[in-house]
Amino acid sequence: MASSSVTRFSTLPLKDKAAVATITGLAMLVRLYKIWQPSSVVFDEVHFGGFATKYIKGRYFMDVHPPLAKLLITLTGWLAGFDGNFDFKDIGKDYVSAGVPYVAMRLLPGLLGVLVIPLCFLTLKAYGCSRLSASLGSLIILFDNALATQSRFILLDSPLLFFTALTAYAWINFQNQIAFTRNWYWYLLLTGLGLGATVSVKWVGLFTIAWIGVGTLIDLWDLLGDLKVTPKQYVKHFFWRSIFLIAVPVLFYVGMFVIHFTCLVNPGDGDGFMSSEFQNTLNNKGMADTPANVAVGSQITIRHLNTQGGYLHSHDHLYPGGSQQQQITLYPHKDNNNIWVIENVTESDVDYRETGPRYLRDGDWIRLKHVTTSRRLHSHDLRPPVTEADWQNEVSCYGYEGFGGDANDNFRVEIVESKTAPGKAREQVRAIETKFRLIHQMTGCALFSHKIKLPSWGFEQQEVTCAKQGTLPNSIWYIEYNEHPLLGEDADKVNYPKISFMQKFLELQKVMWDTNNGLVASHAWDSRPESWPWLRRGINFWTKDHRQVYLIGNFFTWWLSSFAIVVYGAFVVILVLRWQRGYPDYSKEAVKTYSWKVGYNVAGWALHYFPFFLMQRQLFLHHYLPAFYFAVLAFSIGFDIFCKSVMKKKALVVVTGVLLIFCTVSVFVSLSPLIYGEKWTRAECQRYRLLPHWDFDCNSFHTDLSMYDGEGGSGKSRIAEAFESAAAKLSASNSESLHEAEETPVGGGKEEVGEEYVQVFEEHDEL
Amino acid sequence: MSSTGVNGGATKPRQRKATKEAVPVEQVEEVKVHSSTTGEDEPSLETLEKIFAPLLFTVLAFMTRMYKIGVSDIVTWDEAHFGKFGSHYLKREFYFDVHPPLGKMLVGLSGYLCGYNGSFEFKSGEKYPEEVNYTFMRVFNATFGALCVPIAYYTAKSLRFSTAATWLVTLMVLCENSYATISRFILLDSMLMFFTFTTFLGLAKLHTYRNQQFSKGWYFWMTFTGVNIGCVTSVKWVGMLTTALVGIYTIQELWEKFGDLRMPFTTYMKHWAVRVVCLIVIPMAIYMLSFKVHFLILENSGPGDAQMSSLFQANLKNSPLTKGPLDVAMGSKVTIKNMGYGGGLLHSHVQTYPEGSEQQQVTCYHHKDTNNDWVFIPIRTDPPYDHKGDIRYVSSGDRVRLIHDMTGRNLHTHKIAAPVTKHQWEVSCYGNDTIGDEKDNWIVEVVKDTHKDGKVHTLTSTLRFRNEPLGCYLRAANVALPQWGFKQVEVTCAPDTVVWDRFTHWNIEQHTNDRLPPADTRSYRSPFLRDFVHLNVAMMTSNNALVPDPDKRDDLASRPWQWPLLNVGLRMCGWGDESVKYYLLGNPVVVWGSTLSVVVLALLTFVYICRWRRQYKDMTGEQVEYYVYSGIYPALGWALHYFPFILMARVTYVHHYLPALYFAIMTFGFVFDYVTSTLMSGRAKKYGRPVAYLAMYAVVVGLFWEFSPISFGMTGSHEQYGYLNWLSTWTI
Repeated sequence: MASSSVTRFSTLPLKDKAAVATITGLAMLVRLYKIWQPSSVVFDEVHFGGFATKYIKGRYFMDVHPPLAKLLITLTGWLAGFDGNFDFKDIGKDYVSAGVPYVAMRLLPGLLGVLVIPLCFLTLKAYGCSRLSASLGSLIILFDNALATQSRFILLDSPLLFFTALTAYAWINFQNQIAFTRNWYWYLLLTGLGLGATVSVKWVGLFTIAWIGVGTLIDLWDLLGDLKVTPKQYVKHFFWRSIFLIAVPVLFYVGMFVIHFTCLVNPGDGDGFMSSEFQNTLNNKGMADTPANVAVGSQITIRHLNTQGGYLHSHDHLYPGGSQQQQITLYPHKDNNNIWVIENVTESDVDYRETGPRYLRDGDWIRLKHVTTSRRLHSHDLRPPVTEADWQNEVSCYGYEGFGGDANDNFRVEIVESKTAPGKAREQVRAIETKFRLIHQMTGCALFSHKIKLPSWGFEQQEVTCAKQGTLPNSIWYIEYNEHPLLGEDADKVNYPKISFMQKFLELQKVMWDTNNGLVASHAWDSRPESWPWLRRGINFWTKDHRQVYLIGNFFTWWLSSFAIVVYGAFVVILVLRWQRGYPDYSKEAVKTYSWKVGYNVAGWALHYFPFFLMQRQLFLHHYLPAFYFAVLAFSIGFDIFCKSVMKKKALVVVTGVLLIFCTVSVFVSLSPLIYGEKWTRAECQRYRLLPHWDFDCNSFHTDLSMYDGEGGSGKSRIAEAFESAAAKLSASNSESLHEAEETPVGGGKEEVGEEYVQVFEEHDEL
Repeated sequence: MSSTGVNGGATKPRQRKATKEAVPVEQVEEVKVHSSTTGEDEPSLETLEKIFAPLLFTVLAFMTRMYKIGVSDIVTWDEAHFGKFGSHYLKREFYFDVHPPLGKMLVGLSGYLCGYNGSFEFKSGEKYPEEVNYTFMRVFNATFGALCVPIAYYTAKSLRFSTAATWLVTLMVLCENSYATISRFILLDSMLMFFTFTTFLGLAKLHTYRNQQFSKGWYFWMTFTGVNIGCVTSVKWVGMLTTALVGIYTIQELWEKFGDLRMPFTTYMKHWAVRVVCLIVIPMAIYMLSFKVHFLILENSGPGDAQMSSLFQANLKNSPLTKGPLDVAMGSKVTIKNMGYGGGLLHSHVQTYPEGSEQQQVTCYHHKDTNNDWVFIPIRTDPPYDHKGDIRYVSSGDRVRLIHDMTGRNLHTHKIAAPVTKHQWEVSCYGNDTIGDEKDNWIVEVVKDTHKDGKVHTLTSTLRFRNEPLGCYLRAANVALPQWGFKQVEVTCAPDTVVWDRFTHWNIEQHTNDRLPPADTRSYRSPFLRDFVHLNVAMMTSNNALVPDPDKRDDLASRPWQWPLLNVGLRMCGWGDESVKYYLLGNPVVVWGSTLSVVVLALLTFVYICRWRRQYKDMTGEQVEYYVYSGIYPALGWALHYFPFILMARVTYVHHYLPALYFAIMTFGFVFDYVTSTLMSGRAKKYGRPVAYLAMYAVVVGLFWEFSPISFGMTGSHEQYGYLNWLSTWTI
C-alpha cells in the first residue's frame, strides 16, 4: 500500500496526453456530428424538454427523477435564450419553426457524453492499464451506438453516466492514495460529490452508492485485519468515510431540491400529486383564511384527505348505470359544484338565525345538500360504477327542489381523533383541523374514495363510493372552505399550517417513490433485463421523413463486454474450486490483480444490473448503459492483464488491439444512420439487421439514396434557419430573468405521468 | 502501483485456511461442551431425566392442547376451508386449493376414522351437526401439535443444550399460547409445525453423526430428514423454507469435504449420491406420491374441474365433458380452453374495455359459465350457416368466425395495444352477424392430434387460431387484468410467436351440436406427470393472485414486521358474548424473548468476527463448531422462515410466523445458556445461573397461565378479558 500515485491529465506521460487529446477530439467529431438533426422532438425530449419549459415558467411539476440533470438542461436552454414558449408536446414536433435553441440544450448531454470518454481513459490508467488498453476501452465507449444515440438528445442518461464515470474515476484514485494525505481527502470528497450528483440525476445512482458502499466495507474489513492500524486510526478512517460518502451525498441531494423548490413557485400540472398543505405554499394557490367553526347551515367544501383527488363534487350529469342518479365524484379544482350546505337531520325545522349557530359535533346526523342542483348526497345498496366489489355501495346525488330528503341521505359525522389536531377540534368540527368520517345511516358504510378514475362519462374524475370495509385513510374527509351567515368577519379563522422545507422534501420523495412504483404498465418498447446484455432489442426514438433514430448498442462491443463478464465468472468459480482443493493459484500476481481489479468492475456491473430484475416497473434498454460502462472497464482491464501476462509480445498485442478497434468502428459505422437519423437504403438496413428482434422498420427508408435528394435541400436550409434564430434569441435574451411573472393556468386537467411514452399503434376500427 | 487498497488483506484468510487444513481431522467422540445445572455427576439421575422429562412434557402437552377442545361447537377460523377440503376427500369430488394435498388428506382421514360422511359444508361460524364428530377431528389435529413438544425436547438435546436450557426451550414450546391455540382446530398448521419440527430434529441428529458418516444411524437420520422434508412440503409450500435450511447445511458439508484432499474421489461421489437420493429424490417422491393419491381419491367431477386440462376433466367420473360429439362442425357450440399450464376458458362478457377500442372484453376465465360458449360460424364471404344444409366439418386451415353465444358478437382483434401486454394486440368482441369486417376471420390450425384426419376434434386437437388479415395468434398467458376486468386473464393476439408457445394452444372442451352423434366414450388418458405439473402451476398462479385489495380494510391480515414484536393478534371467531372466543396471540415472554435473542446473537457474532479479525483467540475450534451449529443455524432457520414473507406480495397472517418462532425459541435457548454459562463466571455464574433459569421457567409458565383463556376459549362477555390487552393494538 506504499505507492501513492495520482492519475489525472497533468500527471500523464506525454504520449498518454497525446492519446487522450486525440481520442477526445475524435469524440467531439463523432458524438456531436449533426447534433441538430433531427430538428424535431425525439422520444423523451417530450418530458425533459417539457420540464425545462416548466422550470423557466416556474410552474410546479412532478417527475419521478430528481432535479439535477433537468436543472442543468434548463440552465443551458435559458443561457441560449429559451423563453419557455414551447411545450415539447409530441414526438416529431418541429423545433425550428418555433425557434427553440434545442441545439444548445442537446449540447449539454452531448458534451457530458464526450467527457465520459477521457474519464474512461484516466480511470483505466489509474487501474494500471497500458496506453493501448486504456485507448481501447475509451474507444469502445466512444464508438458505442447506444451511448452515441442517447447522448445526442435532451435526455438524462448521458449526465447520469458522466457522474457515474466521475465517481468511478475518483474512487480508484482515492484507492491509490496513502491514508490521510491531501489527495486522499480530495478524492474521497470527489467520490462523495460524484455520488451525490449521480443520485440527483436518477435514483439509479443508488446502485452506484451501493457499489461504493461494498468497496468501503471491503476497505474497512482489510483495515480491521491490519494490526498496524490502531483503533484510534480505525475510528478516523471510519469517521472521514462516513462524512464524505454519506453526509456529502445527502447534503448534495437535498441541496438540489432546495434549488428545485426555489425555481418552482407557481402552480402547475404537478399540483395534483401533492398534499393541500404543499399546494398552499405555491403562488396563487394560497387560500384565504376561513372561519373555523362549522355549523348547521354552513356552506362548505369537503376534501378527501388521503388522495389528491380533490373536493367532493357533483354535477348535472347522471350515472349511465346503477341507479342512474346524479354523479358524485372528486374534482381537483375549485368550482361552485363543490359547495354543499349542511342540514341537520334531527332538528331540521329550527331556524338558527334566531337561536344562534348550532355548531357541528362528533356524532351529529347530517344531510349534505348540493347547492347548485339542490340534490342531496345519497347512498343505497347498489354497486359503484367502476369498483364492483360487494362491500362498496354507489353514492349519488338525489332529490329535487322542495324534496325534504329521505333516510338514505343521512350521514353521521365521526371525528377521527388520531388524525385531528388536539384540542377543541376533536369535539366539534372545525375547518381544516378536524378530520372525520361520514357514516351512512341505513347501511353503515363510510363515504370513501380511492385512486380509481371514472370513464369518460364521468370526465375521468375520481370515483366516490360508500365502503363498509374501506381502509381508514381513504375514508377520511375534512372541510376546507366554510361560510356561515351568522359568522362575521371577526370569527375565529384557520388556514393550512405552514410546512417546512424538510416536510416538502420528504413528501415529494414519497410521491416520487409511489409514482415510480406505479409505472408498471407495459410499454411498446420496453424490455426486461435478461435481454439487455445480448442486445435483443432496441428502442424506436423517432421516425419521420423516411429517416429513423433507433437506440441500439454496438453489438460487437456489447457481446464482447458480456463475454468478459462470463469469463470472469467462470474464472472465479474455477479459482474458488481449486482453492478449496489446495492449489496456490492466488499467489500468482496476475491472478490476484485480475480477480481484484476486474472483480471491482464486475461488481459495479452486477450492482448496476441485477437490481433491475427485482423491479416491476417498465424498463428500457438504456437502463443498461451504466452497467455497460462497467462491463467495458472490466473487459479493458482484463485485456490489459491478458496482454501483459499471456500475450507478452508487443506486436501481437498491438495487432489484437487494432483489430478489436477496427471491428468496433466498422459495426458502429454500419448502424450509424440510426444514430444520426441519416439517409439509408432499405437494402443496407436489411443487411445490418442481424437479429430478427431488432425492430427498426427498414421499410420506412427509401430504396435508393437519390430519393432523399428532394428533401435534403430543404432540410439544410431549415438547419441554417435554426442557427440564425438561435443566435438571435441568444443576443436578445441575456437580460431576461428566469422567473417572469406569468399568469397561471387554471383548470388544466391533471396529467398522467407515464415516463416514456411513444405512440405506436394506430387506431383502425370504427364502431 | 504494486498494490491497491482493495487487495491489501486478501491473502490472510487463505493462509489461515491452509493451517487449519493441516490439522488432521480426528474421529472425535461426541463431547459434552456444557455441563448441566445440577446432578450431572450422578449418571442415574441423568438417565432418569432422559426418560421421565420427555414423558412428563408429552403428558403436559396433551393436556394443554386438548383441554376443553370440544367446547366450541361452531366452525372456527379456517376450519371452514380445511374441513371442507377434508369433506371433498370423503365425497371423492375433485376440488382445487393453493396448498398441496397431504395435510388435507390427513384431515379427510380423521373424518373417515370417526365415520363422517363428508356431507357437512363447513360454513364459517355454523354449528356442527350431530353426525360430525368434530371433537375427534380436532383431537387428531391436536395430536400433531402435542407431539411437537417432545420433539423440541429431543432437538434441544441433539443440539447439545444443557439440561436446563433443554427444559427451557421445551417449556417455551409447551407454554406458547399461539401453538396451543392453533393446534386445537382442524387446520394445517399443527401438521406443518409437526413436520417442520421433525425436519429440524433430523438435521440436528444428522449433525451428531457428522463424524460417523455412512454408519447405520447416519443413514437412518438422513432418510428421516428426507422423508420429513417430503412431508412438510406436501403440507404447505412454506416447507420449502425448512428445506432451504437443510440445503444450506448440506452444501456446506459437501464444500468442506471437497476441501478434504485425503478423501478419495469415489467416497466423495458417494457422499453426493447419498444426499441426492435422501434429500432430493425421496422428498420429491413423497411430494409426487401425495398428488398421485390425491388424484386417485378424487375421481369424481367436482368444483375444481375447471382448473385442470380438458383431458384430465374428461377422465373424471360424471364430467359433462365426455358427452359431446367428437368432430366439430359449423354451428357447433363449444367452450375453448387454453392449454398453457393454468390456462382458463375463452370468455367474454358485456363489460367493455375502459381504454383502447372500448369494445366488449374478451378474457380467460376459470369457472364454468354460459359466457364461455362460442359458436363456429362460416366467414361472411362463404355461404352462410344453414341449419338444415349439409354438415360442414371444420378442418385445419379453415377460415371461421367465432360468435360469442350470449351477446352474438364476433371474436375480433385489431392493431390496438392490448390493455396490459402492450406489445401485443387487443382482442375484443365486436359487431354481430352482419356488422363486422375481415378481422373477425380466424384460421384454425391443428398443431397436434391423435386422430390424423385433419378435422378439428373435441378434447384431442391442439389448436391455434390465427387472425386472417393480421396474422397474429390468439394467446392467453396468465396475465391478470385490473379490477375492471375482474382480475381475469388477459387475452391478446400475438404477432410474433412460435408454434410451440403453449399459451397460443387451445382445445375444444365442451361441445354441443344436435346434428352430430355423441362420441363413443373412449377415454384418452391424461399422463400423471402432466397433470401434476399443471396443478402445481395452477396452484402457484392462484397463490400469487392472493394479493390484498389495497382499498379494503382487513382486520385479520397483518404485516410481517408486526409478528416478532407481537404487535398484533388474531380473532379466530366472532366476538359475540354467546360464542366461545379464541384469540391467536403468542406468549409475550416467548415471542419478545426469542426476538431479543436473535438480535443478541447477531450482535455477539458481529463482535466475535471483528475480534477474530483483530487476531484475538476467543474460542477453540470445538467451541466455534458448537456456536455455529447450535446457535447460528437455528437463527438462520428463523431468518429463512421469516424474511421471505416480507418479500411476498400476498396476504400474510399472524400464523405464518409460527414456524419461524420455533427457530427463534431454539436461538433463545442457545443464547440464554451461552450468556449464563460462557459469558458469566465466578459467583455470578454459580448463583445467577440457577436463579435466572428458575425465574425464566416461572415467567414462561406464569404468562401462559395468565393468557390461557385466549387459548382454551373465552366465554361470556369479552369485556371481562380486557385486562389481557397489554398493548393498545391487541383486540381481546
